[in-house]
Amino acid sequence: MGEEEVNEEESVFHKKLKIKLKEKGKEGRILFLEDYLDYLIRDNKTIPPDFPTFVREIMGLDERRGFIHIRIWHENSELVNFAKKKDYEYKIDMYD
Amino acid sequence: MINGGFLVGEALVGEEPEIAHIDLIIGSKKDAAGIAFVTSFAQPRQGHTPILAVVRPNLPAKPSTLLVPKVSIRNLEDAEKIFGPAQSAVAKAVADAVEEGIIPKAEAEELVIIVSVFIHPRGKDYQRIYRYNYAATKLALTRAMQKFPGIDTILEEKDKSIHAMIGFRMNNLKNPPYLEVALDIPDWRRVEGVVRALPRTDAIIIEAGTPLIKRYGVEVVQKIHQLRPETVVVADLKTLDTGNLEARMAGDATADVVGFSGLAPLKTMEKFIAECKKVGALSLMDTLNVQEPLEVLTKLPVKPDIIELHRAIDVEQIQNLESEWGDIKEIKQVCDNNILVAVAGGIRVDKVEKALNAGADILVVGRAITVAKDVNGAARAFLQRMGVEEVDQFRIMTDF
Repeated sequence: MGEEEVNEEESVFHKKLKIKLKEKGKEGRILFLEDYLDYLIRDNKTIPPDFPTFVREIMGLDERRGFIHIRIWHENSELVNFAKKKDYEYKIDMYD
Repeated sequence: MINGGFLVGEALVGEEPEIAHIDLIIGSKKDAAGIAFVTSFAQPRQGHTPILAVVRPNLPAKPSTLLVPKVSIRNLEDAEKIFGPAQSAVAKAVADAVEEGIIPKAEAEELVIIVSVFIHPRGKDYQRIYRYNYAATKLALTRAMQKFPGIDTILEEKDKSIHAMIGFRMNNLKNPPYLEVALDIPDWRRVEGVVRALPRTDAIIIEAGTPLIKRYGVEVVQKIHQLRPETVVVADLKTLDTGNLEARMAGDATADVVGFSGLAPLKTMEKFIAECKKVGALSLMDTLNVQEPLEVLTKLPVKPDIIELHRAIDVEQIQNLESEWGDIKEIKQVCDNNILVAVAGGIRVDKVEKALNAGADILVVGRAITVAKDVNGAARAFLQRMGVEEVDQFRIMTDF
């Protein structure tokens, strides 16, 4: 499915965080998850309760021009802060 | 003036890293303060050597004053700060307190003072160390002699104050009405979005709803607290068995309020309430599907802190809202007016006034806020209709 064909119909006020992986493929995702855990642990943040689901989600997401699209609900979400702090190239698309 | 025993004073003055924190006791040589003075003086501990406060060498202060360093003195640099600016500042403050009549001059020989002094190892500026410790010692002496704070001040302030090292206030729900936002959406990232979007006010309570807890476990409470440390978080467990175990689990996960079902066996409810008291959480009885909440309450020897008159999501559409609330005034009477009443199920902005007039203290609102396109605006609409103000929003802390 092409990027333009992605179904955004379910949007109420959610946003998409588009993060460029530092490496392609499975290795890039593992590195991304390692970085995320590193960020959480070093900053003394409680591990998000959805982490097991999040791992499955990240490993299963399509890569679109090097970016993965993660659904978020707030532009200051922990994932956005993580992307900033760990120097990931990212953008947030709003639908509301 | 000090008839036996001793008086206690405390003061914090200045800015970091030279900030001065003084704790002191002042009392008669003939009583406990005198014994403590001599004992401490004769038994120095490594890194915490007590020294006499001197205005300058060969001129000790009166009343005789013993300085006890709170932070271990590790080297000569630390020692110089205590023996130099801190010591002379404390001695000067004591002498000035006598001159100004804070300490009765006639008792200068009869009294002793023990001053516990905090000097941050990173504090470098002798001017600031001197001035802050002088001011803090004199303030602590004044407070000790005035027996400050009075118990009424403490009772008034304990629910309003924010400790500088913690950065948030424990809210004991003493100032209703409150808006409880029920997070029943079992999707953490969406919940995170809602929590971040809610207005930051003491009038909002966040409920980790049963579906959310079933999805992620009670640890979700801790994650909500990480996002909003100052907010009361309810763990809506609807416990039916193993009351003490479940209350303890929620308490360990930092829940401020823990909910059990009014359908649980009496013994379970009793254990649940007792365990909540142990872990410092408030207990909440959920009356979902309980035919006679009043009867259940009456049977309980120790009442819960909150009762939630709850209409099920599945029956919201078919039942009359008012009939579900029952007689709130009677419920409060049974509990000697020492219970908060929450109403839940289908609460909309246009029902706020009716619920408050009926005696409700907490309005539990879920989807009307959590699935609104503008979460913040929806919550504010409720708060505005409830007529709540931020706790002490308009107070300027200048009194102490």
